[in-house]
Amino acid sequence: MKLFASLKTRFVIWVWNHTPTCAEMSRLTSRALEQPLTLKTRFKMRLHHLICVWCKRYSKQLQFLHATAPHLDEHTDVPASRGLSAEAKRRITQRLRRG
Amino acid sequence: MSELPASPEPAPTPAPPLSDPERWVDEHGDYLFKYALSRLRDPLKAEDAVQETFLAALKGGKSFQGRSAEKSWLVGILKNKVCDHYRKAGRETSFTDLEFYQDEESDRFIPDGMFKDGWIHDAGPQEWNSPGASLDSEVFWQTYRDCSNKLPKNIATVFTLREVDGVESKEICTMLNISESNLWVMLHRARMALRRCLETNWFAKQEGAK
Repeated sequence: MKLFASLKTRFVIWVWNHTPTCAEMSRLTSRALEQPLTLKTRFKMRLHHLICVWCKRYSKQLQFLHATAPHLDEHTDVPASRGLSAEAKRRITQRLRRG
Repeated sequence: MSELPASPEPAPTPAPPLSDPERWVDEHGDYLFKYALSRLRDPLKAEDAVQETFLAALKGGKSFQGRSAEKSWLVGILKNKVCDHYRKAGRETSFTDLEFYQDEESDRFIPDGMFKDGWIHDAGPQEWNSPGASLDSEVFWQTYRDCSNKLPKNIATVFTLREVDGVESKEICTMLNISESNLWVMLHRARMALRRCLETNWFAKQEGAK
């Protein structure tokens, strides 16, 4: 048991020393949504996720934001005060009549 | 704007346009205005963009079966008008938001020692409880919207263009005249800030409610 714990600590430290820091991971996670990362980088990120639940959550949550953002407009309604004023509507209608 | 004498009847066009422009303004005006306002953040520019959209729509007159098709058609035109606006603005002014470059999350990373730049455990991302279920809640979406409105203007614009409108990053760079690495930094900041805001104002509260 003691041996296992010590091996686990060594593994965590080894991975930590050979993968990007969490601050870098957060940048890479965002970048991955923009362009494909190299195989090496992706592998290192996977490895980092094995020892770091925070970065794993971060990645999952960013993907959640990415997947849901396109629906933002469908769900948020215009409060009446923020819509077009009656005045603006009249202006636009007149302009449209002129073609 | 000069007033025109109201003609008894609008001159009929050879092929009648899909619908009465007045009805458009009435039915879609508010939505389009809100759409433009959330992207341009200026009521006058937003009104202009809506007007230009209707004018372009009038010229390109198509007919539609359903009103939802009509609406998404108009939104499509407006989207282009908004992009045009940024194309012009990008040529004239430098777009990047340098103030925001300071890492506002740096307080969440371990400052020194062996695990420097690792998440501070209590301050790092927390588990989100059933995020999928949140999608049914209008309050969730409102929180999402409020959070995105709190982003600095330029960061918010980039986020909306990229994530809400789904414009490709290369296209955004050309449009705003910024480098790709600049765009990445801005998107990174936007996502980081939004994630944090949603966690604090929505997910942490869900946890508390249970």
